Amino acid sequence: MDNEILVNILWLAFAAMALTLLILYLKKNEKINSLQSAVINLKTTLEEMDEQAKLIVRTDIALNKTQEELDKKLTGLYALQRLSRAISTTLEEKHIFRKIELSHLEDLGFEKACAFLWNAESGEFVPYLYIGYMEDEIDYIIADLAEKRDFYLDLIGRQKTLSSISLQRELGSLEMSKAFHANSFVISPIMPKEGDKGFIFVGAGADMPLTEGDEEFIILLANQVSQALDNARLFEHTWMAQQNLERKVEERTQELSQALEEVKIISKRKTDFISAVSHELRTPLTSVKGYAAILIEEKLGALPPAVKERLEKINRHSDELVRMVNDLLDISRIEAGKTIMRLVPQDIQELSASVADLISIQCKEKEIELLTEIPEALPKVMADRSQIERVLINLLGNAVKFTPRQGKIIIRISEEHGRVKVDIQDSGIGMPPEALERIFDEFYRVDNEINQHVKGTGLGLSLVKHIVEAHQGRIWVTSTQGKGSTFSFTLPKIN
Amino acid sequence: MSIQAGLGISTDKDSLKAVREAALQARQRLDGNASPNVAIVFSSIEFAHLTMLKTISSMFGHIDVLGCSTTAVLCNQGVFRHAVAVLLLNMSPDTYYTTGSITDIKYKTAIKAGEEFGEKLLAGLKSARRDLGIIFSDGLIDKSSNLIYGMQERLGTSFPVVGALAMDNLRYSKTFVYYNQSVESDAACGLILGGGVNFGLGIRHGWKPLGKPRYITRASGNIAYEIDDIPAATVYEDYLDCDIKELRLELRRIGTFYPIGIYLQGEEEYLLRNITDIGEDGSLILQGNIPENSQIRLMIGTKETCFTAAEQAVHEAKEALSVKTGACPRIKFALVFDSISRYMLLGRDAEKEVEAVKRAVGPGVPVIGLYTYGEQGPLKSIDYHGKVYLHNQTISVLLVGE
Repeated sequence: MDNEILVNILWLAFAAMALTLLILYLKKNEKINSLQSAVINLKTTLEEMDEQAKLIVRTDIALNKTQEELDKKLTGLYALQRLSRAISTTLEEKHIFRKIELSHLEDLGFEKACAFLWNAESGEFVPYLYIGYMEDEIDYIIADLAEKRDFYLDLIGRQKTLSSISLQRELGSLEMSKAFHANSFVISPIMPKEGDKGFIFVGAGADMPLTEGDEEFIILLANQVSQALDNARLFEHTWMAQQNLERKVEERTQELSQALEEVKIISKRKTDFISAVSHELRTPLTSVKGYAAILIEEKLGALPPAVKERLEKINRHSDELVRMVNDLLDISRIEAGKTIMRLVPQDIQELSASVADLISIQCKEKEIELLTEIPEALPKVMADRSQIERVLINLLGNAVKFTPRQGKIIIRISEEHGRVKVDIQDSGIGMPPEALERIFDEFYRVDNEINQHVKGTGLGLSLVKHIVEAHQGRIWVTSTQGKGSTFSFTLPKIN
Repeated sequence: MSIQAGLGISTDKDSLKAVREAALQARQRLDGNASPNVAIVFSSIEFAHLTMLKTISSMFGHIDVLGCSTTAVLCNQGVFRHAVAVLLLNMSPDTYYTTGSITDIKYKTAIKAGEEFGEKLLAGLKSARRDLGIIFSDGLIDKSSNLIYGMQERLGTSFPVVGALAMDNLRYSKTFVYYNQSVESDAACGLILGGGVNFGLGIRHGWKPLGKPRYITRASGNIAYEIDDIPAATVYEDYLDCDIKELRLELRRIGTFYPIGIYLQGEEEYLLRNITDIGEDGSLILQGNIPENSQIRLMIGTKETCFTAAEQAVHEAKEALSVKTGACPRIKFALVFDSISRYMLLGRDAEKEVEAVKRAVGPGVPVIGLYTYGEQGPLKSIDYHGKVYLHNQTISVLLVGE
């Protein structure tokens, strides 16, 4: 019995255990399934993540390319700006090209460059720049340029920029690459307005592909160089012209100085001659005049009227000759600085009034109205009274001489620019314009009707000029033919 | 132990004038009357002439000259495409240093040349404790990772070496290494410092993983044949939605901007590998070695991540420098090896990286550097015991302090 119970209990226990195991197995299985599902989910997520990574990489590479392109553009622009600044301040042709450096080229995305200008006289391309080339390579390029000279001249003539992009499908690209040892390149004409024209070539290796922007940069560079060449040439031209001008001015100045020296020597000789001759003339003239006077006064006996008349003529002409000789002596003395002007303060108002009194008799004879326009308050002038009286008498005498009957003479005194100005204005016959320039010359007489009848030495105005200038003054004349003349002179005033 | 440093730079077009100007500046900035023992020279390719090195020798007498060509020089004044920079170092008598070089790497194979190079450097140092190696090597040698492996055979795997792969003007045709009075391609030169030099090193790139993890299922040396059992190039064709022909045309851009990142346990950043070529069989030829079964990701970088990485690199270097004393000592000079990929990505903003370094090291500290085709430097995590690897896309900042 007990055994049976025991067996039953064992069975029950076994069954319970089996059931537990079954439950555990089922639970485990459930967990495995759940984990497997999680692994699958994880794998899916990983795959999805990988797909996202691909998107990220593709976007990143596109962004990097854009960034690189932008960087390149910016760097290129900075390089162009730097170059532009350097080139624009250069005024010598060769120096313009020397401003282009390897660092500029690298910033523009290139590694070598050369530039040539066509020299029409020698009929060859002359190298002005080479960077990244050995000298033998440049020799090779020069030889190639000579061979294909028409092609390059045509390129310059058409002002066309070529590049390995624009020439991609043409044979020229390959030839040019070979000639200039560069896979990628831009060649752009240098076109100054005047003088030798040419081109600039910039190149890079195969691993530096070109973009459209590169071509534009090189066109800008070529234009910049062209502009700078124009400036340099214009500067050189202007500079040369200035140098020539300076040289000519110097030569002329030297010539003029020499001429002036000669004139001074001649003038001195003339003055010395006149002085000597005048002195020599005065002595016999005095004798002639003396003897004539004795004869006229009939101290040596009565004379027939015809003889007396002739003697009076001799006497009159002798007087004129004496005057002339005296004037000449005065002029030569002033010129030689031998006449000492006794400059003392003078009342010009009173001085001119006394001269006007003297001349008024002659005016009355010709019914000429003599007017004065003299302000009450006038500063005194530094003058030699007797000399200025001579000036005024001379000018007023001329005015009376050339003013017709019932005419008018005005003496006008004013203060101008720190000086006292005296005008003697008449309503006389005036002078032709050509006479104005020469009126103060010695022995010059205006060719007019009055002068033909009235005698004169032609020395009066010359003497007047010398006197005024010896006073540090200035004299001039304005005149209208048929209406009258105005002689003006200035004298320094006393402050 | 102390090192004095003076830096000079010139952009004069006349190479002789340029090197003279740079060297004179460096001399003037060297403290006191200290005479230089070592000159580190970086120059753009047009200055890579023997006359440049002879000028330095003639100016300073016996001096060890090391350096290489590059596409652009970095210094306190900025980034210069056409320049020569000279850093003159005066080592106090208790500072041990030795220099050496190796040529004909191709003929000897990179690994054998690396071993020989390591031996030469060790021989010069004798028994002194060695602290740090600085090397410059031709940037266009095949399997350049092997040069490092070879050196490690002699110098030990955990010996810290920082290095730069020389550059040309991005033509990938010929690069030059400067050593004393020789300008060589297919060569490497280096300097080992010892006697307790206090230095800090930071290496970062800032590239981030993108897409799902994949595995290198077949590889040998620097060639990845298959990724996830399909030709390796197919992955790139798929990601970029282009065929292999287009891929080849855009290889330089793609290989630089989207390199392969190898996952390294414990490292904060993936180890990057630039693609230098695509095989006929669809394999990817990489600049450095890639182990089979590596977990890899496609990597992507942005300007922002680049700047952050530069800041992190110099920060790391400063922290490392502070370990000894607990506070950052006076920095004597900073040496920066910056990947050309970063220059290409940053474009006009490249100078900002230099600014970040200058800000971190403080005013008056000479900063000299160059752009490289690849950088060598140790990994940081304990798992790799500071083993030196070839990196791509990184900015390596070496700070030498008091």
